[in-house]
Amino acid sequence: MAETKRVTCADAMRQFFAYLDRALSGEPLEALEAHLEECLACCDKLAFSRQLDAFVKGRLGEAPLPPRLEARIRQALDRA
Amino acid sequence: MGGAGSGGGGEGCSAVGSTLDPGARRRFEELALPHLASVYRLAVRLTGSAQDAEDLLQETYLKAMRAFPGLREPGRVRAWLFQILNRLVLDRHRGGAREVAYGDLGELDRFSLYDLISDEDPFPYSDRLHEDFLAQFDDEEVRRALLALPEVYRLPLLLVYVEELSYKELAEVLGCPIGTVMSRLHRGRKILERELWECAKRRGLVKPWQRRSG
Repeated sequence: MAETKRVTCADAMRQFFAYLDRALSGEPLEALEAHLEECLACCDKLAFSRQLDAFVKGRLGEAPLPPRLEARIRQALDRA
Repeated sequence: MGGAGSGGGGEGCSAVGSTLDPGARRRFEELALPHLASVYRLAVRLTGSAQDAEDLLQETYLKAMRAFPGLREPGRVRAWLFQILNRLVLDRHRGGAREVAYGDLGELDRFSLYDLISDEDPFPYSDRLHEDFLAQFDDEEVRRALLALPEVYRLPLLLVYVEELSYKELAEVLGCPIGTVMSRLHRGRKILERELWECAKRRGLVKPWQRRSG
């Protein structure tokens, strides 16, 4: 079995968001998951990062397109 | 980069303006107008103001129409529109285009809101300390914290939070390698954590003078 490069807690922390965004793959993903299996503190921090992301997304709220705005844009395109 | 088009309506695009023939103009409207709501939503979160967002949206679409003949991949028109909006925003606030020295970047990388909350323990009787901490902030405070981020970090973060773009799409929109996307998103979130912590201090939720040493 190939030796997976060990990561430190600091390395792991730098990759949490890429991990949560599902942007990690291959060796970096395996190394991070191996670290998480043995580091409870990083698991807690990762869980908080996930919580924080969900929290911020939830607080951004809706921003529906104002009804008259499409007409304004069409007019601006006509005038251009 | 620039897989979505020819430089995303950058300065190199030929500005054909109103000379789009009626067929091309119709095609532009068919492709681009369905994304109005999406581009507007991003503009609102980026500018923090409905009025500024409307102006930015109009400017984006005018520039997109001029650059339309250079769009090579019509299927990626949404990413292309974001790319044009990004360029407009960064051109407008030239300072925002730089990865600013936000204190010491190494220090920022190590910043951990999780640790600070654990150290301060603002809700000693809570068994959901970190969740309770976050629950103290209202929508407006979170939006203000995001607005405090330099554009170079705010835009990619919003594209992930609001539009759920992949890193590959982000690299195209921002015109930078995926490694840069990754570091901007990481730092953007760290600055956001720091802003929330500063907000908590201003609100008196945490009392730094009680902070334990070590």
